[in-house]
Amino acid sequence: MKSILKFAMVLAAVVFAGGVQAKDITLLNVSYDPTRELYADINTAFAKQWKEKTGDTIVIEQSHGGSGKQARAVIDGLEADVVTLALAYDIDAISQKSGLIAKDWQKRLPDNSTPFTSTIVFLVRKGNPKGIKDWDDLVKPGVSVVTPNPKTSGGARWNYLAAWGYALKKNNNSEAKARDFVAKLFRNVPILDTGARGATTTFVQRGIGDVLIAWESDALLSVKETSGNKFEIVVPSISIVAEPPVTWVDGVVKKHGTENVAKAYLEFLYSPEGQEIGAKNFYRPRSEEVAKKYAGQFAKLKLFTVDEVFGGWQKAQKTHFDPDGIFDQIQIDNR
Amino acid sequence: MKLAKRPKIRRAAGANNMKPNQIIFAVVLAGGLMASESVRADDTADAINQLKQQIEALDQKVRVLERQHELETEAQETKAREVPHITIGNNGVSFGSANSNFVFQLHGQIQVDSRTFFNDKTFHGPNLQGNDGFLLRRVRPIFSGTVYKDFDFVFVPDFAGSSVQIFDAYLNYRYAPWLQVRGGKFKTPVGLEQLQADQYTSFNERALPTDLTPNRDIGFQLWGDVADGRLSYAAGVFNGVGDGRNSANSDFEDHREFAGRVFLQPFKGTSVTPLQNLGFGIAGSWGNTFSNAGGLPSAYLTDGQQSFFAYTNGVVANGTHWRLSPQGCYYWGPFGLLGEYVISDQNVRKGAAKADLQNTAWQLAAGWVLTGEDASYVGVTPKHPFDPRANHWGAFQLVARCAELNVGNEAFPIFANPGASASEAKAWAVGLNWYLNRNIRVNASYSHTSFGGNINPKTATVTRQPEQVVFTRLQLAF
Repeated sequence: MKSILKFAMVLAAVVFAGGVQAKDITLLNVSYDPTRELYADINTAFAKQWKEKTGDTIVIEQSHGGSGKQARAVIDGLEADVVTLALAYDIDAISQKSGLIAKDWQKRLPDNSTPFTSTIVFLVRKGNPKGIKDWDDLVKPGVSVVTPNPKTSGGARWNYLAAWGYALKKNNNSEAKARDFVAKLFRNVPILDTGARGATTTFVQRGIGDVLIAWESDALLSVKETSGNKFEIVVPSISIVAEPPVTWVDGVVKKHGTENVAKAYLEFLYSPEGQEIGAKNFYRPRSEEVAKKYAGQFAKLKLFTVDEVFGGWQKAQKTHFDPDGIFDQIQIDNR
Repeated sequence: MKLAKRPKIRRAAGANNMKPNQIIFAVVLAGGLMASESVRADDTADAINQLKQQIEALDQKVRVLERQHELETEAQETKAREVPHITIGNNGVSFGSANSNFVFQLHGQIQVDSRTFFNDKTFHGPNLQGNDGFLLRRVRPIFSGTVYKDFDFVFVPDFAGSSVQIFDAYLNYRYAPWLQVRGGKFKTPVGLEQLQADQYTSFNERALPTDLTPNRDIGFQLWGDVADGRLSYAAGVFNGVGDGRNSANSDFEDHREFAGRVFLQPFKGTSVTPLQNLGFGIAGSWGNTFSNAGGLPSAYLTDGQQSFFAYTNGVVANGTHWRLSPQGCYYWGPFGLLGEYVISDQNVRKGAAKADLQNTAWQLAAGWVLTGEDASYVGVTPKHPFDPRANHWGAFQLVARCAELNVGNEAFPIFANPGASASEAKAWAVGLNWYLNRNIRVNASYSHTSFGGNINPKTATVTRQPEQVVFTRLQLAF
């Protein structure tokens, strides 16, 4: 009897194990513009790790565009399993307008759900013909500045706030002078792309402009891709800490049944392997160990946060980027 | 001869000083010239630099303009993808969201008929058969659409009768062409000519076998087209309706009716061209109805839509009702053929009397498109739509049909009045269809139906003499 029971248990185990088949899973990561290379590497590594751990095959589809535009797309129905956008405000917008993301999303992952940081630097042509050294040089007559449109691009909003923050600090926190400075800067902008990668294309490939205000990660990538022969990076005296956040989209992962794998995917960004991939793609890692290893890659400069200078993204967005905000007023004045 | 000595020229005082002045002058002049050259060179360099700067500025302007154009094009392409699309054509009106998740279509059907009955009047008596006249046979807006690409809906009211009726109202989910689920009110999958869309039938009215098949019923059906349509199947559960009946919007009793159909077109899509449009299949239904006249046909109708058979008062459906219908059609070039045979076997009761009545019907209809276009189950598309200015006249099709319906002998005399109801009807018809274009069609046909049985010539009306009808139709369908 006992041997029959044992046999039955073994048979059941075999049948059960045989019945549990490996699954094919698809995730959609809706991201901001310049993260193509980062997530190409992240996705390959995570898919391999997930396969080894669970036996399931995972395919991660990517969508890239201006952070604001991407947020709008998710609100309008694009079924993103995860969003990895340029700024927290855009994810807050998804949470508030669609209810698809929990209100406390930023607390669910470490470091306010930002596995990497970056900052804003200048990319200039080799030899720096216009002698760009700091923010002040960007407002000089005859200097053509490339930066994307803050209405659609998260990177552009970081650029704008970096410039504003510099002007505030230089002028004893005078908002009027900061406004005047940023207005002059945008008078030197000949074209507004919708996203950061578009602006890089304008500067690097279309040869427009004397200086590109860029994500540090994108600037370093451009220099690397041209073997340092065409462009140089100019690090300004002060810049902003850009904290692009990530989260899973609750409403979508529940519908798709991808909650576990979406969480695991984002947690992977914080893992030693994920941090290393981020650093290799020129994103400043949160991991102290990895940051130490790649310290030489990143410039040391004075940094401020959006909370310190602007009181947070909600306030900054309302003051500067909402309809009829300061940016809209600047654009009207500049016509 | 000695040459005269050259006279000595006495230099004026200071004459020796001219030379240095000249030198100075020359030096100054040279210096001036050099300076001037240098100035000219500087000017030239300046000018060149200026030109270079202008060229660089212009180059930048051109690049900016090109990039702006590039971004505008991208923005327009993105916008075009987000803009809803509207199309109007011979297939109706269609509105769709940019991502095609929502599509709404409006089609329609208007049929204006005339019926003229011959030899239907008694001497100094009433009309024995129908009134001659014009009628709106069908006036149906057809609302249909698709949501989220896989969910179709159809809603068809008809305004032609004395009151508005809902003919079709259903949802259809398409998991795949071979697996679909439909729920609502729609045609039961039994009769071949019944399943043919109204706008494509060869004659104004369907033939006698359609008297025995269910019309529309409410229920759910699993169906699909397998192997690119070489096999079509449908299996459903419905409320159940009597022969030829259209379901009311709720069931008249408790029991369900099951209906199913399998139809094969084994040569579809093959290189055997003559047989590509050969189709054959079998359909049937099975259900129970107890003690309810709603399960019986209201009447069996002629081509002229006149009743030639009806159960007497007090007869109810009582028991199993099954139908079986082998069916087929064949189209090759301008030639078309459609045939079906229907058995309707129903248990009935009147008082204590019970019977299992089996009524049968068959038809064979053929057509030939005189202008050479292809005939098909879904009508004829003229190669040259009607345009007399261009000497284009559309397509013409000759059609002919014969049909018969036999009522089981056990129906008489208890369950049907032999004096008034015929036990058989035999019909033949010929007609000419003119397809002006895909949307407009004109029909003209003649139908003759004779009746058999113990008909009382003194009391019978419709069945006293053959029915002879000339039909015309003007049809708009889109």
